[in-house]
Amino acid sequence: MREYKILLTGPVGAGKTTAIGCVSETSPLITDVPNTDTSIDKQFTTVGLDFGQITLDNGDRIRLFGTPGQARFDFLWKILAKNALGVIVLMDNSRAAPLDDLSTYMQTFVESSRLEPPCVVGVGRMQAHPIPTLDDYAARLATEGWVFPILDVNVRNRSDVILLIDALLTQFGVDIQGGKK
Amino acid sequence: MNVKHGLSSAVIARAQREAQKLVDELAGVRAAVVATADGFEVAYAVTGDANPARVAAMTSSIVAIGGVVAEEADLGRRESLILLTDSGFAVFQSVHRRDSELVIGVLAQNCGVPALVSYRAAQFAKALVEA
Repeated sequence: MREYKILLTGPVGAGKTTAIGCVSETSPLITDVPNTDTSIDKQFTTVGLDFGQITLDNGDRIRLFGTPGQARFDFLWKILAKNALGVIVLMDNSRAAPLDDLSTYMQTFVESSRLEPPCVVGVGRMQAHPIPTLDDYAARLATEGWVFPILDVNVRNRSDVILLIDALLTQFGVDIQGGKK
Repeated sequence: MNVKHGLSSAVIARAQREAQKLVDELAGVRAAVVATADGFEVAYAVTGDANPARVAAMTSSIVAIGGVVAEEADLGRRESLILLTDSGFAVFQSVHRRDSELVIGVLAQNCGVPALVSYRAAQFAKALVEA
């Protein structure tokens, strides 16, 4: 049996905790506490980590680690990213400058990593906030020299989150059923 | 960024006084920070180059992770954590107020006494619950 560690990161409110809770087959570990930052419209926020697990059909297991979104918790980011085989960056298209958010998280989790792990970008809340488009995200990645899958997702929808994971696994040659592609 | 913790100015003043007393009265203590559960400093006293904002965020994280460990292990409600290192120690304490969940982080060098600092941090938490 093989284990894959996948990191979910992205700005506060992008839905990292929700995504992990949506797909984890075990009760997710969550470190949410009441949010006191009035600039963020949410009741609770992650201050430690999120953790969930998925078992593939062949018995291989994916361990999902979610980071806190706020930069004040950046001391945790590198700890959580250690040995991750891939990174899912969740974006919130309703934020003021999502493309700048993308650059920040890509530089932190992909560019600064020696191994430059495979990456997938999931963009949420696109229906209510269609701009920037997925093409805009792709263009921003291209300016930094990256080409990664970018998907429109609703993290409350399990199949959307599974699709993100599948897209990531595809980059290192494993599909969600656990077989080699 | 605006932080709304709902604490009265009297409670904040009390927290400030108690944090300063901890630093002034206990050997080795170089930072005492009271923070919201999500990592914003409310009151603090520091010596040297300790950054209260960083201590507040780290205290929030470690207390939350400790709470998950306690829950998973069926050990009841989190109260405190002690981190021992080769040159000092840190004590992290939960403050279960009705109006606002707070955390206390105390950093100390190894000339301090962990049991004493832990006791005083617990007393500090009790004072904040009752304030």
